[in-house]
Amino acid sequence: MINILIIEDDQNIAKMIKATLSIVNYNGYCCYDGKSGMQEALKGSYDLILLDIMLPEMNGFEVMNQIKNCGTPVIFLTAVQDVADKVKGLRLGAEDYIVKPFEALELLARIDVVLRRSNKTQNIISYGSITVDIASHIITDNNVPVQLTPKEFDVIVYFLQHQDIAVSRERLLSNIWGYEFEGESRTVDIHVQQVRRKLNLKDKLITIPKLGYRLESQEKT
Amino acid sequence: MKLWQKIFLSSLCLIIAAVNVISIVLLNNSHKLLIERERSHAINEYEYFAASFANTVVYERLKADKIMMTEEDIKKIAADIVSSRSQGQSAAAVYDSNKTLIESSALPELFGLDEFLSYISGIGTSVGDYYIKIFKCGDIHYMTVCSTLKIEDNLYLILTASDVSEIYALRSQQTDFVRKVSLISAAIISLILLVTIIFLLRPLSKLNTYTKAIAKGNYKIRIRKKGSHEFRELAENMNIMADSIQSHAARLEKIAEDRQTFIANLAHEMKTPLTSILGFADLLRIKRNVSDKERFEYANVIVEETKRLRSLSGKLMELIALGGTETDKKPVSLPSMIKETEAALTPILQKNSLSLACVSEDITIYADEELFKSLLYNIIENAIKASSIGQQITLRAAMTSGSAVIAISDQGIGMSQEDAKKVFEPFYMVDKSRSRKAGGAGLGLALCVKIAELHNAVLTIDSHLGQGTTVYIIVSGEECL
Repeated sequence: MINILIIEDDQNIAKMIKATLSIVNYNGYCCYDGKSGMQEALKGSYDLILLDIMLPEMNGFEVMNQIKNCGTPVIFLTAVQDVADKVKGLRLGAEDYIVKPFEALELLARIDVVLRRSNKTQNIISYGSITVDIASHIITDNNVPVQLTPKEFDVIVYFLQHQDIAVSRERLLSNIWGYEFEGESRTVDIHVQQVRRKLNLKDKLITIPKLGYRLESQEKT
Repeated sequence: MKLWQKIFLSSLCLIIAAVNVISIVLLNNSHKLLIERERSHAINEYEYFAASFANTVVYERLKADKIMMTEEDIKKIAADIVSSRSQGQSAAAVYDSNKTLIESSALPELFGLDEFLSYISGIGTSVGDYYIKIFKCGDIHYMTVCSTLKIEDNLYLILTASDVSEIYALRSQQTDFVRKVSLISAAIISLILLVTIIFLLRPLSKLNTYTKAIAKGNYKIRIRKKGSHEFRELAENMNIMADSIQSHAARLEKIAEDRQTFIANLAHEMKTPLTSILGFADLLRIKRNVSDKERFEYANVIVEETKRLRSLSGKLMELIALGGTETDKKPVSLPSMIKETEAALTPILQKNSLSLACVSEDITIYADEELFKSLLYNIIENAIKASSIGQQITLRAAMTSGSAVIAISDQGIGMSQEDAKKVFEPFYMVDKSRSRKAGGAGLGLALCVKIAELHNAVLTIDSHLGQGTTVYIIVSGEECL
């Protein structure tokens, strides 16, 4: 289980982040000011810290200064889209910098990158008869290896990590292909069809009109 | 050309010209005096010569015991007497009445001059008139005296000449001397002038560097008042100018900074609710299974935050509108405005079990009624937010030293001195979460300040943590009737 500390003074935002984290089964713990957030962070029992910059008592940079030695990766959250602030945050040792407002999946994607970098993500994912070993890039269905292209592999991994979540084509493009433009959504469709066919996921990996795709979880059906 | 060069050159020219004119006048004067003296001296000599000539003629006639001297005799006597006179640079000549030369000294350079011949022919024949003239022959000046003399019933023209070169030599010597002295004195004067002018004009170059510094944006610099009266005055005025530039620049800087802060705060205040709205709406959109409880919770936050945005944009519109509108000021009775505001607040007061006590003198002020009531409303509303159940809010309005002072006090939570200082800044909230729960956008007091400005009024705040807050609206006497 991944534990994430949310240091954010606006209670509604903190609540929203916590709810977002819960859809990928991450545990969120909220602190509403810099001081208590810092004390909580220094306990060292978290895998990641989401840190707002404008905080009462102590601002995010001050908190960062205090906690940077405990080794927990930090992502800054801020309403200010200021390059100087961004540089300052990253120089203090933050892993990333997210500007408010953000979409739920964007937050999760950024968190994912940071967690993967610190090797805190699950390496083996099982879904029914399918087992995926992310580290060694092997996917088996009923213990029979399935041949997937690297991009197809990334697509199925993304869906397995975000089960029961409607994922837009744009989100997939930006997460897997690393760019954002709508004209290429055909590429996404082709890859999703390939994955569906190769892994027999016709009923599980469903198309949601006007939005994208969703992989339905095993247990709930 | 620079000012110091102009002053220097013009005063130098004037001084040299004055010195030269004065010395030339003086020289000419003394020269004239000398010539005058030489003239009387020459006349004396002439008289002597003429007398000795006449006497010799008489003496020779008596000696020869003649009744009349012949022309030959007279010629002889003239030759004798002229030769006796012709010593050194003195000369003499005798002419008969027809201006024919009888006898003259051997001085051809004088007697051969055309000028001299025309001078002789111009001499009249009346006895006793002296014709005096100075001739220049080469380096030598001769002064000639000529007059008609009656000897033995015949008229003769007698002329004496004497050397007066000395006077001219003296004059040229003195001119030389004056020229040298004036050159040397000009050099000395120019040196002294230069030093004086540079010394006197030095404050000017300092003022110059100082203005350059100001132009470059160094408004802190101040010049020391030094030098002559005019420079001190100029320096003082420039310091006054620098003061006002500095205060203006500081004010503009402050305005720009305030605007920057305002925009940054506005962005923050807008993005905070937007983050919750976007986040929860996105969750509702992408999650497959949302329980009823979750859906209610998410939707609730979205509604709450949307309301916050609505209130923020409303206040923002008010603030912008206040900046551009012309106020509709009329004489309004303060007690009646207070009464109406009190009535509008009654439901909120009852809901929070608070009492409001208003005491007001009968004051009439020039005000935009709606705006001023909203100012009172906002401040009393703040007092309500700070108070807890059962407490009292008081409003007192009275004329104090020419101004109308409205004091609104509560017994609520109060705030620290630092908070009290910043509380009029836009978006400043003493307790953010509490204020947000109450739907505040942090713009209420900023609006009040704007309204107060429009009414020539000042807002001050006096607050103690845990003891309550008093806000004073001080309306300048000019706005009171």
